[in-house]
Amino acid sequence: MVNDKIDIRNLNVWFRDNHVLKDVSFKIRENAVTAIMGPSGCGKTTLIRAINRMNDLIYGCRTSGDVYIDGHNIYDGNINVYELRRKVGMVFQKPNPFPKSIYENVAFGPRIHKVASGRELDEIVERSLREAALWDEVKDRLHDNAFNLSGGQQQRLCIARALAVKPEIILMDEPCSALDPAATAKIEALIRRLSKKYTVIVVTHNLQQAARISDFTAFLYMGKLIEYGDTKSVFENPHSELTEKYITGKFG
Amino acid sequence: MSGQTGERVIFAILGVPMLICMLIFSWILSLLLTGIGSVRWELLTVSALQGGMFEMIVGTIYLLLGATAIAGPVGILAAIYLVEYAPSRGLTRIIDQAINNLAGVPSIVIGLFGYTFFCRHLRLGVSLTAGWLTLALMMLPIVIRGSEEALRMVPASFKEAALALGATRWKAISSTTLPAAAPGVVTSVILGIARVAGETAAILFTSCVLITRGLPRSPLEPVMALSYNLFVKIVALGTPAQKVFGVALVLFMIVTSLSLSAILLRIHYRKGQPWLMIR
Repeated sequence: MVNDKIDIRNLNVWFRDNHVLKDVSFKIRENAVTAIMGPSGCGKTTLIRAINRMNDLIYGCRTSGDVYIDGHNIYDGNINVYELRRKVGMVFQKPNPFPKSIYENVAFGPRIHKVASGRELDEIVERSLREAALWDEVKDRLHDNAFNLSGGQQQRLCIARALAVKPEIILMDEPCSALDPAATAKIEALIRRLSKKYTVIVVTHNLQQAARISDFTAFLYMGKLIEYGDTKSVFENPHSELTEKYITGKFG
Repeated sequence: MSGQTGERVIFAILGVPMLICMLIFSWILSLLLTGIGSVRWELLTVSALQGGMFEMIVGTIYLLLGATAIAGPVGILAAIYLVEYAPSRGLTRIIDQAINNLAGVPSIVIGLFGYTFFCRHLRLGVSLTAGWLTLALMMLPIVIRGSEEALRMVPASFKEAALALGATRWKAISSTTLPAAAPGVVTSVILGIARVAGETAAILFTSCVLITRGLPRSPLEPVMALSYNLFVKIVALGTPAQKVFGVALVLFMIVTSLSLSAILLRIHYRKGQPWLMIR
């Protein structure tokens, strides 16, 4: 059964006078990995931040167009943006754990949404850490400071933290760009596994990574959506000359 | 001039001022030590009516604590507003500049303002409350600027992570930015206390009297203070300086122990947050 989870229609984003995203429209498949690639400054990050409305927090940002998640327009006036961000988790480019213990990092989300406490919270923390493939490495030191973990472990902790609030969509903004190859391989395998249960959107400017992990690929250039389709056909048989040039490394 | 001679000259230029500072410091220290010898410690707990300084000590502490209790929270909240909530950068810059200017206003001018506004206009009279408000005015710019700097030092990534999990703006700030900025915020309050700790001019016409019958029974009564006592004894009563060394020494010790305890508090905060060293 295939479903579209997110439907982006005529999305435009401006930062003051800078028109960053230009009339972007496409649908994102449920329980699959969608990669968004393109050269630096093409609007990849802005695009995923439009899906959890993190752009709203930037002074001077203006958005037009619609983004539907499960048929609900998230730019509707009556949408609860905090509930939206619970449903749409985010993992950042640089691992950014809180300056707290491993346990407290994962428990942060459930605590602020007041969904669990005590034994129940312990279970959520364990489940999230297992899902993020970190449990075995940290189960004996849950109350250690998260800053003592390695970069790759910190990033998986950030993924566990996002999973703890039971999201449906996970946005990842170049999650491996600050990591070494071994840590990258672990995160990539994790992304594949997560896509069985979650809709995953990964921003990357690493072409091989997009090819390895994604089911669908979108190519952005200068704020415009140039190409979108299943990863295999985008890489092997691109419609646009621009995409082909990018994939073959002629620019970017 | 050979390189070596040049180096010696630089060393002398840099070293002599340091030597002068050391000399002055050791002279002050020796004065203090003489003071310690002449203080009759039993006077600390004896009422001023019997020639002691009990009410002055308690009055000084009352003034400092009250002013801190006002300027601390107000200053910190103002800093949070300016850093996290103020809508436009331009406006914030103008407010910051105004705060800088406020920090440079001489204390006697602030004292005069306190007298006309708090004592006369608000009819608080010469009272502890008027003194608190006037001292708080002096502390505010320092607390605000220091706390602002501490808040701006915290990586935005903490707050972003909390927001992305669905935290409200206040929840994100109070649970991530504020704890990380706490040591810097505490430091700014220390600096604020240090500014007003020995203050005389600001309380001169707003809250002090030379002698009271016991401690103030309400915040609307005037109070005795060590610094004011020193000022009046020397300037108005012509008391020889040696006779008030004891009062000066006690004032010095109160101020020093207040800063010291605040520094200990800051160390305590840092210990709980080792990552603060990393940033």
